[in-house]
Amino acid sequence: MSFISTEFACLFVLCFAVCYLVGQRFRKAVLLASSCIFIGYFHVGFLLVAVAVALFAYGAGILIEKTADRPGRQQVAFWGACLCLVLCWTGFRYAGKLTGTSVLFPLGISFYTFQALAYLTEVYWGEEKAERNVTDFLLYMLLFLKFLSGPIERPGNLLAQVKELRPATYPMMTYGAKLILVGLIKKLMIADHLGPYIDHVFASVHEASGVQLLMAALLYPVELYADFSGYTDMAVGGALLFGLRLSPNFDRPFTSQTTAEFWRRWHISLSSWVRDYLYLPLASVVRGWGQWGIAGSLLVTFVALGVWHGAGWTFVVYGLIQGIVIVWEQRTAKARNTLRDRLGNRLFTLLSQVRTYLVFALSLIFFKAQTLEEAFYYIGHLSFRVHSSWKEVSIGIPDRSCIVAGATLLLLLVYEHFMARGDVLQRLERQPAALRWALYYLFVFVLFAYGKFGTENFIYLQF
Amino acid sequence: MKTTAEILEALNGIFRHVLKNESLNLTETTTAHDVDGWDSLTNMLLISEVEKAFGVRFNFREIVKMKNVGDLCAAIANKMKP
Repeated sequence: MSFISTEFACLFVLCFAVCYLVGQRFRKAVLLASSCIFIGYFHVGFLLVAVAVALFAYGAGILIEKTADRPGRQQVAFWGACLCLVLCWTGFRYAGKLTGTSVLFPLGISFYTFQALAYLTEVYWGEEKAERNVTDFLLYMLLFLKFLSGPIERPGNLLAQVKELRPATYPMMTYGAKLILVGLIKKLMIADHLGPYIDHVFASVHEASGVQLLMAALLYPVELYADFSGYTDMAVGGALLFGLRLSPNFDRPFTSQTTAEFWRRWHISLSSWVRDYLYLPLASVVRGWGQWGIAGSLLVTFVALGVWHGAGWTFVVYGLIQGIVIVWEQRTAKARNTLRDRLGNRLFTLLSQVRTYLVFALSLIFFKAQTLEEAFYYIGHLSFRVHSSWKEVSIGIPDRSCIVAGATLLLLLVYEHFMARGDVLQRLERQPAALRWALYYLFVFVLFAYGKFGTENFIYLQF
Repeated sequence: MKTTAEILEALNGIFRHVLKNESLNLTETTTAHDVDGWDSLTNMLLISEVEKAFGVRFNFREIVKMKNVGDLCAAIANKMKP
């Protein structure tokens, strides 16, 4: 049941209506039941695994808290629980690869396993109390709006809100509805117009011309961003309708001047997770080694971040590229500052943004390629060469899709530019009703007229 | 026993050296957001240099709980208590 499907729309509307009809007392039960239906609709096994992991984390949290006065036992409980969760996740992740059979990979497991690990760590550190209410905890773990692809929520944010669940206010609802519309526009008017043609180039690397490989590599970050941030906008907007504020996952990543900055703006809930629960503890242990300790911790962290996405060396290299570039950026900070003084701030900023985008685009070749050999072949054949005509530059994207995706991307960049200077959606709220509703109708009309329907999947579903 | 002002002055030198920024002037309310280059990547380098300079050792939880330079000063003073 994808976010863009009739089944999901029915479930969402039904859940929303029942939630506000039954009143405060049963609202959590309705949300939890809807979440179970949502997960079970894909496969009942997915629901069983998710509930088992959630109940395990629930019990482990209580055990960790209860053994707080006996540090030795608490350590065993914490590390044992984390090991079980990681083994369960890697088991599903690698079972198919290792046995050569097709083992069903439970949807959302990478997201809710990391959420469970964050919860247990916070309890172990004494930052959060272990949750005693099983309904609250299950809702924190399984909430259908963020189940498939995050954001990976910390207990301090979502669990606290679940415990004090209040009905959404009218401004929250209207803001949420607008975010859903923004998400749909990103997904249906950018990602889905580009996706099939980029996929085709990546699926036929040996037949594509150099310029086709180049264009697909340059466009893939745009598709991935529109797809994933579109999903996130829908998840965050949908949750607002139920009175819940999910964590932001993107903050204009393509304005980043360095790869380090990029990872503070891209998939924030994952990058901040690996920073807080992996990089910082690791770096604190080896901080005495100076720059080498920091560099080693960074490389380990980014390899782990890569491997989180999937089994295979392509994801290791994807993570490694990020780590190596960030280490290089650390070592050359002074030289880059000198260059900034020589070139002037504006030109240097632009060149740095382009460089960061190109590094990310290059690393995504490993992210998307099936094997390392294919990725290296792809990079080795990037060029401006064509097989027969310069029309190959379009990688087969029809003119209509080019115009729709291009115009929407431009609109998105303008929207994000102004969002950074003050919330455009809130400012819109203060405009005359006639203007607001004219805009809403216009965007909904444009969405139905030019959106590409029929592709239900989101890229990050596979993780 | 060093005063907060003395600790702050020493910290200023360490931060200037590690972050390669000679114009840096720390106050007790300075946070990582206020200083270019002070982020999660350089933070551990700074802590390591601070530990060497003052002959103290922080554990991980103490490090992540420090929210500004004032917290760092207080933690150093606390560790240096006779």
